[in-house]
Amino acid sequence: MALSKHIMTDHRLTIEGRFDQVASVGDLVESIARDAGFESRDQYALQLAVCEALENIITHGYQGESTNLIEAQVNANPGEVRIELWDDAPPFNPKNNSNDIEWNEDDPPVGGLGLKIMYKVMDEIRYKRVGDRNFLTMLKRLPPEVTDPGE
Amino acid sequence: MEIQISDHKRVSVVAITGRVDGSTAGEFESALTTLTDEGKNNLVLDMSEVDFVSSAGLRVLVNTRKAVNSAGGKIVLAEPSQQVIETLDIAGLDVLFEQFKDRETAIGTF
Repeated sequence: MALSKHIMTDHRLTIEGRFDQVASVGDLVESIARDAGFESRDQYALQLAVCEALENIITHGYQGESTNLIEAQVNANPGEVRIELWDDAPPFNPKNNSNDIEWNEDDPPVGGLGLKIMYKVMDEIRYKRVGDRNFLTMLKRLPPEVTDPGE
Repeated sequence: MEIQISDHKRVSVVAITGRVDGSTAGEFESALTTLTDEGKNNLVLDMSEVDFVSSAGLRVLVNTRKAVNSAGGKIVLAEPSQQVIETLDIAGLDVLFEQFKDRETAIGTF
């Protein structure tokens, strides 16, 4: 859709809190991860993780789809991709809501999957409440063999 | 996302194309619930053309698996794309769904 072309500036993208807007940020992250040297498997994983974070904000933060905004900034620093997300929802620290409880095949989990994916994919996730806003930082580093200075 | 359903002798094949995420998971779940409500509890999901699936899509898969299993049926995946395989793997749910190399092989297991 046209939104990303209109307001994406220097790897920044602002979307409304609607599920059909999430893919545009995912595509941006995948593109930046590709340029940063991540292999295709990690490009997809990063796309997935940021989409999970955004869907969590919409579902749990904004309590459903709305015109409330989510701001994304994606940077490729040497050897890493950093994703920053801002939203205006009530405080939500993903760390306090993530769990990795035991389960069996007869009773597999249906809740908490998004957070599980985020923590599995990212090397670091930081949450801060800044004024009335949530600020989430997600970081993934290139594997050492890719960043080896011998290249 | 597009969904095509074809009924075979003992199994229904659901072919999904495109993106299964928060914006499409409801439609995906409705399609599968319609089948299980009709007593069609043997399902092959052809996911060869799925280019993205988030946890919203996984929840539909897990809920459908519970429904068909409790009715004595089974749900399997045919030719899941790399994206489907990776999401299942990251979420640790790959063990829940038998995967087959193509649709015909999957149908043949019923």
